[in-house]
Amino acid sequence: MRAEATPPSTATTEVDDEELIGQADWVIGGDAARKGRRQAWYAGYVAVLAAIAYGFPIVQAAFRTSDPAWLRAQLSSPVALGALVLAVGAALWGVYSAGGFRGPVVPPLPWIDHVVTTPVDRALSVRRWWRLSLGGSIFGGALLGATLGAGFAFAGVAPWYAAGLAVLAGAVLGRLAAALWLWGQVRSWPGRDRGPRLLVRPRRALRALHADSLRTHSANTSTIGGSVLAGNLRTARLQLARPVRHARHARLRAGGPVAVVIRRDLLGLRRVPGNLWTGVVFTVIGTAVIVWAITHSAAPVLAASLGLVPAYLGFGAWAEGLRLQADNVGTPSLLGTTVRSEGLAHLVVPTGLTLGAFGVGLVVAATTGSVPVSAGLTVLALVALLAGAHLVAAFRGTPPSMSLRPDSGPMMLVLWYLMPSLLVLVVGTLATWGLRRSPEGILWVAALVAAVVAFGLSRMERLSIEHRV
Amino acid sequence: MGTITVLAGEVRASGVGKTIDTTTLLAPTDVRADPGECVVLRGPNGAGKTTLLRIIGGLLEPTVGTATIGGATADERDPSIRAAVGALLGAPTTYRDLTLIDHLVLVDSTWGGDPSTSDDRGLELMGRFGIEHLDDRFPHELSSGQQQLFRLALTFARPASVLLLDEPEQRLDTAKRGTVAELIRERTAAGATVVMASHDPVLTESLAGRVVDVVPAR
Repeated sequence: MRAEATPPSTATTEVDDEELIGQADWVIGGDAARKGRRQAWYAGYVAVLAAIAYGFPIVQAAFRTSDPAWLRAQLSSPVALGALVLAVGAALWGVYSAGGFRGPVVPPLPWIDHVVTTPVDRALSVRRWWRLSLGGSIFGGALLGATLGAGFAFAGVAPWYAAGLAVLAGAVLGRLAAALWLWGQVRSWPGRDRGPRLLVRPRRALRALHADSLRTHSANTSTIGGSVLAGNLRTARLQLARPVRHARHARLRAGGPVAVVIRRDLLGLRRVPGNLWTGVVFTVIGTAVIVWAITHSAAPVLAASLGLVPAYLGFGAWAEGLRLQADNVGTPSLLGTTVRSEGLAHLVVPTGLTLGAFGVGLVVAATTGSVPVSAGLTVLALVALLAGAHLVAAFRGTPPSMSLRPDSGPMMLVLWYLMPSLLVLVVGTLATWGLRRSPEGILWVAALVAAVVAFGLSRMERLSIEHRV
Repeated sequence: MGTITVLAGEVRASGVGKTIDTTTLLAPTDVRADPGECVVLRGPNGAGKTTLLRIIGGLLEPTVGTATIGGATADERDPSIRAAVGALLGAPTTYRDLTLIDHLVLVDSTWGGDPSTSDDRGLELMGRFGIEHLDDRFPHELSSGQQQLFRLALTFARPASVLLLDEPEQRLDTAKRGTVAELIRERTAAGATVVMASHDPVLTESLAGRVVDVVPAR
C-alpha cells in the first residue's frame, strides 16, 4: 500500500500487499492462477508449432517464386517502405482503439469486485493480467518477426542477420503495442493524468485504471465472447459500436427507393467516421499491395493474396448498411424495397469506394511504368469478388449445428466465420494467377466470381425465407 | 421489375394454432376483420396474442388452421403480403446512424413517396405523436416511452391496408394513448384494417369494433 497517499495526521499501518493478493488469489481462484500460467505456456507452444509448420513455409513459398534481387529492390523502395510504415501505424492505431473497448487488463468480475476495489495497490492487484498481455504481445511480435525474417532469409531476399533483426523489431513493436493497448484502456475512462507519459510508466497506468472501467471491459469481453460463440454477430457489433454523435444535423435527402438507400449508407459513413477511416486505411494498404502484385510480372502471386486480406476488411468497414439489412431479416417489413434491390443498393457505396481506390492505384502504377490489360480485368474481378463475399458474410445466418459439438465444434465455428474471407482468398488468388498467365482466362475467372456473387445473393434470399417457421 | 398484387385488407384466420414440440403457444383461434374495422385481441399474458398477430402477418407458420390477407395465404415471403401488412410486433431494428427524421424519410422514399415533400410528411407524423422536437435524435437517445412513439411513427409511416399492432399502448401515458387511439381511428376511417392486442380497457372500449378473447392453451 502506498503510505505517501495517506494524510500525515492519520495513523498508518504496515500491510503486505503481496501477501494479501496471494491470500485473495487462493480464496477466489484456488489453483486457477497456476493453471492459467500453464495454459498461457501451452498457447505459446502451439503458436510456435503453427509458425514453424505453416507460417514459415508460406512466407518462404510466397517469395521464392520471384527473383530475389528484383524483389529485394522492390521491397526496399520508398513506396514499399511507406506501405510498411502505414501498415505498422494502422496496426498500432487498431491496438490503441481496441484498448478503449477491451484492454489488456481484464480480470474476472469477482476479482474486480472483491480485490481490485480494496485498498491494495491496484498496480499489484491487476498485475497478473497485465503481465500476461505484455508477455503475449512481446512473444507474438517476436514470433511474427521470426517467421517473416526467417522466411525472407530462406528465400534469399534478405541476409541471415535480418532474421535476428526482425525478431528484435517484432519484440519491440509487441512491447509498444502492449503499452498502447493499456493506454487505450486507461483513456477509455475519464480522469486526470492520462497523458502519453503513461506509455512508459505501466505501474502508473495500472493505478489509473478505474474499477468501473475494468468492470465494463470485463463485461464487454463476456458479451463479445458469448456472442461470437453463439454466432450472434449483431450483438457483438452493437457492443463494439460507440454511440453515434457526428453530423447530427445532416439530413437524409429523400429520393427514389434505391437512391435513398445509397444516400443512407453515405450518411452512415459521415456519421460514423471511424468506419470510413478504417475502410480507407485497410483499402489503401490492400489495393497498394494488389496493384503492385498485378502490375509487376516478377512479383509473387501470393502478394496479391496478402493484399486481399486488408482489402476485404476495408470493404467490410464500408458495408455496414448491408449488415444492418441482414439484422432486419425476420422483422415486419418497414421498407418498400425488395430484399435483392436493397442488398444491391447497399453494395454501391463500398464497391464504388473500392473501385476508386484501385483506380488511383492503377493511375499511380501507370505513371511509374506500364499497366497490362490483365491488371484492369483483375481489379474488376476482385472488386466483384469482394462484393459477393460480403453478401455471403452479411447473410451467413446462424452457425451450423455441428459447431455445437464439443469435439469438432470450435473448428467448425472458426471455419464458419472465416468462410467469406477464405472464399476471397482462394478465388482471388486463382483469379490473379489466371489473369496474369493470360487475359483470355477472364472467362473462367468471371464464371468463378459470378458463382461467388450468385452464392451471396442466394444466401440473402434464403435467409429472408428461412426465418419463417 | 416485378408486379405486386394489391390486396384488400380482409383478414381471415380460421382455427389457427401454434404448437412447438409439446408446448402449445396458441390454441386454435378464429379472427375475422374487414377493411375499416379494428379488432382487438384480448387475453392474459402468455395466451398467444403476439403469436396470433405473427401468424396473421405471415411471419409464423400456423401448426393448424389457415390465415389469409385479402384472400392470399398470409406468408411474409409473398411481396403482396409485405406490401399490404404494416406491423409493430416487438421492437423493429433501427439504424443506429440515422436520426428519427432520417428513418421516416427512408421509409417514405422506399415506398415511393414524393421526395420533395418527404421531410414534411415525416415531421408532420412526428408532430402527431408529439415527438417532432426529437427529429435530430438518434434512436439510442430516446426514453422507453419516446422509443415506443417512434416505433409507432415508423409503422404508420408506411402505407398498409392491414395494420397489426402488439400492445401499442405500452409505456405510454394517458394522453399519448389517446393520441394513438386517434391515429388508429383515422386509419380505419381511411379503410385500413387494424388488428391489435391490448391490455388497456379504455383503448379497447374506444377502438374495438370487435373483441376476440384469446384463451390460454392451459
